Amino acid sequence: MDRKFLNVSTSTLSENIKEKLSEIKKADILVGIPSYNNAKTIGHVVRAVQAGLAKYFPDKKAVLINSDGGSADETVDVVQKAAIEDFHSIFILHQKQFLKITTPYHGIPGKGSAFRTIFEIANTFNVKACAVVDADLRSITPEWIDLLLRPVMDMDYDYVSPYYLRHKYDGTITNSIIYPLTRALYGKRIRQPIGGDFAFSGKLAEFYLTKDVWNTDVARYGIDVWMTTTAIADNFKVCQSFLGAKIHDPKDPGADLSAMLYQVVGATFDLMDTYYDVWKNINSSELVTTFGFQYAVGLEPIAVNVDRMIDKFILGTKELTSLWEVFMSENLRNFLCDGLSKTPRESFNISDDIWAELIYTFAIAFHKRLINREHLLKSLTPLYLGRIASFVNESLNSSAAEVEEKIENLCCSFENKKKMLIDNWD
Amino acid sequence: MRNAILETLTEPLREFYENVIDFLPDLLASLLIFILGVFIAVALKKIFARLFKVIKVDKFSEKFGVTDIFQKGGIKGSVSSLFAKVIAWITVFAFLIVSLQRLNVPTIEGILEKSLLYLPNIFIAILILFIGYFLSNFVGRTALIASVNAGLKMSSGIGKFAKLTVFSLAATMALEQLGIGKETVLIAFAILYGGIVLAFAIAFGIGGKDAAKNYIDKRIKGEEEKDDIQHL
Repeated sequence: MDRKFLNVSTSTLSENIKEKLSEIKKADILVGIPSYNNAKTIGHVVRAVQAGLAKYFPDKKAVLINSDGGSADETVDVVQKAAIEDFHSIFILHQKQFLKITTPYHGIPGKGSAFRTIFEIANTFNVKACAVVDADLRSITPEWIDLLLRPVMDMDYDYVSPYYLRHKYDGTITNSIIYPLTRALYGKRIRQPIGGDFAFSGKLAEFYLTKDVWNTDVARYGIDVWMTTTAIADNFKVCQSFLGAKIHDPKDPGADLSAMLYQVVGATFDLMDTYYDVWKNINSSELVTTFGFQYAVGLEPIAVNVDRMIDKFILGTKELTSLWEVFMSENLRNFLCDGLSKTPRESFNISDDIWAELIYTFAIAFHKRLINREHLLKSLTPLYLGRIASFVNESLNSSAAEVEEKIENLCCSFENKKKMLIDNWD
Repeated sequence: MRNAILETLTEPLREFYENVIDFLPDLLASLLIFILGVFIAVALKKIFARLFKVIKVDKFSEKFGVTDIFQKGGIKGSVSSLFAKVIAWITVFAFLIVSLQRLNVPTIEGILEKSLLYLPNIFIAILILFIGYFLSNFVGRTALIASVNAGLKMSSGIGKFAKLTVFSLAATMALEQLGIGKETVLIAFAILYGGIVLAFAIAFGIGGKDAAKNYIDKRIKGEEEKDDIQHL
């Protein structure tokens, strides 16, 4: 037991938890739930996980870990009390061995630090498969556990990414930046690279722990893209599972958009430095194996204030041009500041090609450190809002399938323009 | 009698001559030291200019915005040649001091001593100004971007105000270091910024009563119209 702890050079686990773990010794499956003030939803998530484990992996020893960031509400109590009271009513039997542990995590406050604790415990238990699910989920069902864990348990996959149905205006950072960019870079069509609910093998958890990234943005919102990219770029066997609709509470009401964008896009750009030798030789993308029964679902409409987004875009182009001068071409600046800012709102449009070029321009400036990286990424916020406004204008009456087609076109633009990125990288 | 007058007249000349003869070796030695210093400075300038090019000082300066700052300050030429020139001038200055000390003139020694004691203050003041300039740019830009992202119409003004505040603070500290109008500068700074803050408070309180109410209603009572968009 101690030897296993020693494998992790800088353990973040408290002595208390280490003692608890040494009593449990070993497990087959571990499910981690990072949380922070999720009292309203976490009870449902815990019950869904417990039911999923009992229904689909009844003979396995499973441990549920709640890695909490110091919630001020009842989150921890809710986790402790949450249980399936009547297994018969959902037609399943009790699981042989199911344990529940709540532990605070240490390090930089954020989802990534919570995950690190989960990886360490998975490594300690030497589990075969591990899954992590968000604590804010409202649409999780027991089937998610099977869909996430089965490819690892029975098919030797190392990484299972989620594939959800989301409202066309949900996950806009994913749709407009992270998915097209990671797909163009690493050549795998993983639709939700920062989905938040993943499964991975014990081997991959151990591999994650060997990386020294826990004092970077990976410790915050950057964790999702880091996990996905690392799995792909380091040649682990990856797939995705169709989980149905994703409905969840807002991520963190306290976190502002520019901070989220900074952490997620910053982590993605950082990985471009790390894996340059991998992505520079990739010039197309391929489908990845997708598990699960796919179906369409109606999602609640979302209120969007396009005018406010365009206002912020115009303000940004007016005030931040001098900052962009350092790294952005004159043509691009003229288009943003003179052309687009004066366009009537109803025809406001940032085309796929321009957007791909903009993101690559920012990635190059980030790589070359042309200006302070935090300033660079936070100055992307008004442009991102402009792109979202443009996307909303374009897709106001589009169905989910039509929107998916538009995203596909955007991905093609990213793939076609990749040469520009490679040519200007050094 | 004639001899006595002649002696009275020639005595100062003789003394002057003897003094000059005594002083000449010091003067020559001093001149030699200074000329040697100039040669060494020229050599060092060339060596360092080449070294800075080899270690790519210009490239790093461009990357971190140092070249831009110098250009904005009206300093032309590459950063590596500028640094090499500074090293050359420091060498010339050091040899000048040594050569002047070699003259053994009490008045010059006194002036040198005072100047040398004051020199560290000048260096520290320059350093404070330099750091202040960098910091003010950084803070100004941070404030500008944050204001733009918050959708504030007066973002540019906020950025400039933040920049000016930090640089004024640095200038005040630099002047204090030089001992120029110690209390006056501090009091002026306090009055100026205290006044500005008070003016804003009064203006916002009286002139912008409704705007303040709207802002508080939106921010605190959550009456702001929000998007349902989930970015992640």
